[in-house]
Amino acid sequence: MAKQGKLGKTASLLWVAATYLFLYVPILVLLIFSFNTEAFPSPWKGFTLKWYRELFHSIYLWEAFGNSLIVAIFSTLISLTIGVFLIFYAAQGGRIGKFLVLFYGNLVIPETVLAVSLLGFFTLISIPLGLTTLILAHTVLGLGFVIPIVYARFLELDQRLTEASLVLGATQFQTFFKVTLPLLRPTLIATALLIFMISFDDFILSYFCAGSTAQTLSLYILSMLRSGVSPVVNALSALLLFLSSVAVLIFFSIKTRVRIF
Amino acid sequence: MAIKKHTPKIAFLSPPSSEVPYAIGIPAIVWQVLFFYIPLLIIVFSSILKISDQGSIQGITLAKLTVFFTPTYAKIIGSSILLAVSNAILCLFIAYPIAYFLAFRVKRFKNLFLFLLIVPFWTNFLLHVYAWFFVLEREGFLNTLLRWLGIISEPIHFLNSIFAIMVMMVYYYMPFMLMPIYASLERFDSKLIEASMDLGANWRQTFRRILLPLTSRGVRSGFFLVYIPSFGEFAIPELMGGDKQMFVGSVVSHYILGDQTGSLGAAFTVLSCIILLISAVALYWIIERLLSSKVLNG
Repeated sequence: MAKQGKLGKTASLLWVAATYLFLYVPILVLLIFSFNTEAFPSPWKGFTLKWYRELFHSIYLWEAFGNSLIVAIFSTLISLTIGVFLIFYAAQGGRIGKFLVLFYGNLVIPETVLAVSLLGFFTLISIPLGLTTLILAHTVLGLGFVIPIVYARFLELDQRLTEASLVLGATQFQTFFKVTLPLLRPTLIATALLIFMISFDDFILSYFCAGSTAQTLSLYILSMLRSGVSPVVNALSALLLFLSSVAVLIFFSIKTRVRIF
Repeated sequence: MAIKKHTPKIAFLSPPSSEVPYAIGIPAIVWQVLFFYIPLLIIVFSSILKISDQGSIQGITLAKLTVFFTPTYAKIIGSSILLAVSNAILCLFIAYPIAYFLAFRVKRFKNLFLFLLIVPFWTNFLLHVYAWFFVLEREGFLNTLLRWLGIISEPIHFLNSIFAIMVMMVYYYMPFMLMPIYASLERFDSKLIEASMDLGANWRQTFRRILLPLTSRGVRSGFFLVYIPSFGEFAIPELMGGDKQMFVGSVVSHYILGDQTGSLGAAFTVLSCIILLISAVALYWIIERLLSSKVLNG
């Protein structure tokens, strides 16, 4: 490895340590105070689990949680299905290379602009805002990830495998479902996880396209933030951090080269 | 992502002509046009169409756009550009060494380090806002720590300031910068660094002539992955800045969600998109110049 000099090496290690501290000090403080008997701004008084009990008894929270879950599941399923359809078309010899550029905009334009224009669209054709509009909106975001990622992986597949399958008498349909799709499975799972988490944590699209009836988890947390600090949110943070850690671990265990970006 | 043109070799084995279900590719295109391009067109049209009270179109007008040609809005747009640029630069300075560390220095716990970087990024960002409230509050962690260390005697108001906005922006957007740089460093052959050092270049020269030019793609995409969304960011300035500072995103959300001001909001969105595009092109040009070997070697 390069000789960077002792000083440079120490400095760079300190920089890394400082950055990880910057990332984790707020989270750790938050977690520690979720076990404090007294509410903020009281200093540490004693250990309790009462905020967690309160969290699990909060009806509104679980309703919002359920809504976020529904939106994330449906938008993930729809964007994945649509994406697989397109890949199926490509596998039949359809040239989708030229369509691909259509999907680049989804991730390039600021999400606020996407949200605002979808809101205008839904209002114009008078679709009432709610879970449906949220699912539609999140699917657009999901497609922006699914199509470029899955198509790039599809191009890397060994074409000889599909050729072999066809030569040996399988139909196009069988070849796609028994050869191409299994080969793409790790990529599909990883992408599904990625867009599920993006949808589940999304704030901007929910803020504009949810209307007043469908509260998602992000909107629920926002309302709690505005009403002041409560240790229940700390407990919720602990829960959500745990869930996202599990998701990241699953993502890591899938041996695929899908990037987080 | 380089997308090669796909030439299917199966074509001559079994002519797909008649049996190809072309229709199967259509949902993606339809969805994209219906829920992405049409909404965008609607917002563009609603910003330039003159619509009467009865809802009929009376012609084209630029009045809704020129409403915003005032010093107040110029200042708001200017501060958004400044916020986004400084955020991108700060993220670059923080993320580059981390990406370097992850790509070349760590061997054993690499996945742990990556895991620790990604988990916050995959957690609802409002919880991070909340966490920073906790740290920056009057009675929060930072004030307590500073008082305990004897650096200050009276608590400092960290919240509702540019400082708080900036901290949160860097915190949230840093991974967007880190990942592309890490990806470009990972492909990088570290022997090139050794070769450069062995041939007598110092660390600084190696960085400027070898490392930076070869990772310029990652730096560039990271810069724009941070710059573009930060330009339109409205939640962080509102929550951390306490509405004192106005940015493009706050104006958009204010007008769009306001009563009867939707078309003004649309106009301002279109206007800021145009400015975003121009500023992005200008920044791209500046970055190209900065990264070009002429400047680096000069």
